[in-house]
Amino acid sequence: MKNRLKVLRAERSWSQQDLADKLNVSRQSVNAIETGKYDPSLPLAFKIAEVFDMAIEAIFERD
Amino acid sequence: MAQRPKGRSPFFWGSMIMLSYAVIAGLSITDAIDAPLNFILMIAPAGLMVPLFRSASRRIDQGGSIMCGKGQAQLRYTKRVMICTALYLASFGLMVFFIDQREPSEALRTVLAVPPGLAVIGIFWAVGRLIIEEQDEFVRMLIIRQSLIASGFSLSIASVWGFLEAADVVPHADAYWWPVAWFIGLAIGAVMNRVKFGSWGAV
Repeated sequence: MKNRLKVLRAERSWSQQDLADKLNVSRQSVNAIETGKYDPSLPLAFKIAEVFDMAIEAIFERD
Repeated sequence: MAQRPKGRSPFFWGSMIMLSYAVIAGLSITDAIDAPLNFILMIAPAGLMVPLFRSASRRIDQGGSIMCGKGQAQLRYTKRVMICTALYLASFGLMVFFIDQREPSEALRTVLAVPPGLAVIGIFWAVGRLIIEEQDEFVRMLIIRQSLIASGFSLSIASVWGFLEAADVVPHADAYWWPVAWFIGLAIGAVMNRVKFGSWGAV
């Protein structure tokens, strides 16, 4: 699954740690999701969408 | 700029423990050392768990974590494993002393031999609790992956070794070496996590 996490984070000048703190996960989790090594669960995907105030499909898309 | 953690890393102490147990296992299996000396030597690497956990706790206190994750569940895990390790060292030391020096009855030998095994079970329980309590799903996945790799590694070696032993190809290995193989498997799992996901894991 592809995602726009890195771009969206850069637009807001957030570090990986900033986003991790907002999501209450580790920085390594954010890094793994950003680099496409790990696909988040549906609850975490909803939380990410909430943090960016966007729809899930605007952040994640199928390969 | 990030502050560099003081002292040796948990990886250093973990590697020393693995290396020590590998050497002792080699000496024991090849009959280079006898059983009492083997028991006594097995206590020493377990003693390295103390600087390992102090190092891990120091990293958590400095705002980081042992390997990754937010640290709270890992902190509880570290404390539990420290307690189990202390119980293991104490009960193992007691068993070696009594069996070697006093030649106790079979009933007393049984009473003395059970607590070290229970302490090792305590470490397995601590890993189980960590999986339950870890709130970060990515870290939890890494721990589960690490544990599955460790189980596959140790059970595979135990299976192959058992049949080779039955065929008189390899010398006898006491069953308490299989948990040691499981802990070595955790280290292998951490490396495999690092290769696939870029993070070591949390155990």
